[in-house]
Amino acid sequence: MKISIKKLSMFIIAVLTFGVVDFASGHHSFAMFDRAREEVTSGEVVRWAFNSPHVALYIRDAAGDIYAYEGAAPASLVTRSEPMNGFSFQPGDSVDLVVCPLHDGRNGGAIGIIIKEDVWYMPNDGGCGPNLESWQDWMTKGYMSKQEAIDAGEEIEM
Amino acid sequence: MSLTKHLKIIAAGLSLTASGAMFAQFGAPTPDAMPFPMEFETSRDHYDYLLDHYKGGVQHDYLSVPKWEGLWSTGGNTGGNRPFVADGEIIEGVLTPEYEAAFKYRRDLGDQAFNAGVDYDRLTTCEPAGMPRWLLEPYVREFLNTPTYSLWHNDLANDTRRIYINQEHINIDGTHFATGDSIGFWAVDDELGDVLVVHTEDIYPADFFRGTPPTSNQAESVEIYYEYWDEENDQKRIGVNVYWYDDLALLEPLSLVYTYRPRPDMEAAGLRIRYWECAQNQNTYLTFDEEGRPNTQYRLPGDPGYLDPRGTPSTRNPDLPADLIGQDKSPVFDDQFDFAF
Repeated sequence: MKISIKKLSMFIIAVLTFGVVDFASGHHSFAMFDRAREEVTSGEVVRWAFNSPHVALYIRDAAGDIYAYEGAAPASLVTRSEPMNGFSFQPGDSVDLVVCPLHDGRNGGAIGIIIKEDVWYMPNDGGCGPNLESWQDWMTKGYMSKQEAIDAGEEIEM
Repeated sequence: MSLTKHLKIIAAGLSLTASGAMFAQFGAPTPDAMPFPMEFETSRDHYDYLLDHYKGGVQHDYLSVPKWEGLWSTGGNTGGNRPFVADGEIIEGVLTPEYEAAFKYRRDLGDQAFNAGVDYDRLTTCEPAGMPRWLLEPYVREFLNTPTYSLWHNDLANDTRRIYINQEHINIDGTHFATGDSIGFWAVDDELGDVLVVHTEDIYPADFFRGTPPTSNQAESVEIYYEYWDEENDQKRIGVNVYWYDDLALLEPLSLVYTYRPRPDMEAAGLRIRYWECAQNQNTYLTFDEEGRPNTQYRLPGDPGYLDPRGTPSTRNPDLPADLIGQDKSPVFDDQFDFAF
């Protein structure tokens, strides 16, 4: 198993040291999100708020509980590899998500990946940074979290 | 004008011309920083020097004023922490002792936080970036120039700079401002072509970016804006050389470069700058631990104080009946939650 902590460290150092700024930057601290955890969840879209300064996706899970996940700035989503706008996710859509949950365990977190009708969207910013290729592989293997993948000996690419 | 002064200006003029030659390499995404043409006592001296150098500048009309319409995003730059940090360590001799200590304090605080380095951002409280962070905000901006003033809008927090052309500073407010008060003049540089020289003062204490050293309420700037051709990407870009003066924070003024790239791809995707409501940020708020260290927290639907960015927030129109029809902000979808906030 190879965990590329070094790559993560280099990225963090680059951001902190060289002021590398791109659309992964957010408008506020990400202290409340547990970015070390990446977990799979699913549900029905209640609302997709394509609002400044951060988009937000609200879903209702199978138990009927509502979860709120924050993503990047709307302006940054329109030119991503799978572009998004305010109509991309509509009430009632079924979605699978990779998220970084809140540290305190409440029903929310940062969005990493949204999967809708087999299209993988990446509306994330610095609050959650899953590796798309890794998760496309891990989903087929049934992993429900990054930790499960690590425990199974998967290589972790940052 | 004394001969000494003449000689200084001639020498400085040569320096400026030589520095302009550095920009002949327009294929480079990030131009080199311009050196200081001479040592100036104040940023205003620097601005006045440039005004003399360019013989008072030119007065554009609506036909001739450079057009920078469209959407732009930040490109290559030498800002952020580059002047202040190398190999993860603070570079000594750049900041004054007080501000170097403050920067260490900020970094130490960040290291103790969950998010490995940054546990506070003034944008959490919906404050605009302001200067000098305005220069580096990565999202989307517009540059609108008229003969009498320029309006440069950064979408983040509706942070608009106004550059009053061929005018003097005015401050009837008796305070400072996030983006300060800016004046400028257009000129034609032998190497750079059209340039806009800007002087800014009366700036709030702020930051170069999140996690960088703070700036003081004595900060002022001289900026030289110009267009250049990015051969690598075959597109016009806007560059700016920023001379940042801050007697309280810096031992010596800094010369920094920022660039901006056009975003026709965003325009093609239908993006238009809207009013930045700060709705989600109102749900992200500061907390403080027992030792007074700042951290950040996130309100969820149902939490006290949660603001609904799409429905009918309780803080909006509290003087109207709560069940008044037609007051949802976003009637596009039937996506109202089935519980009240």
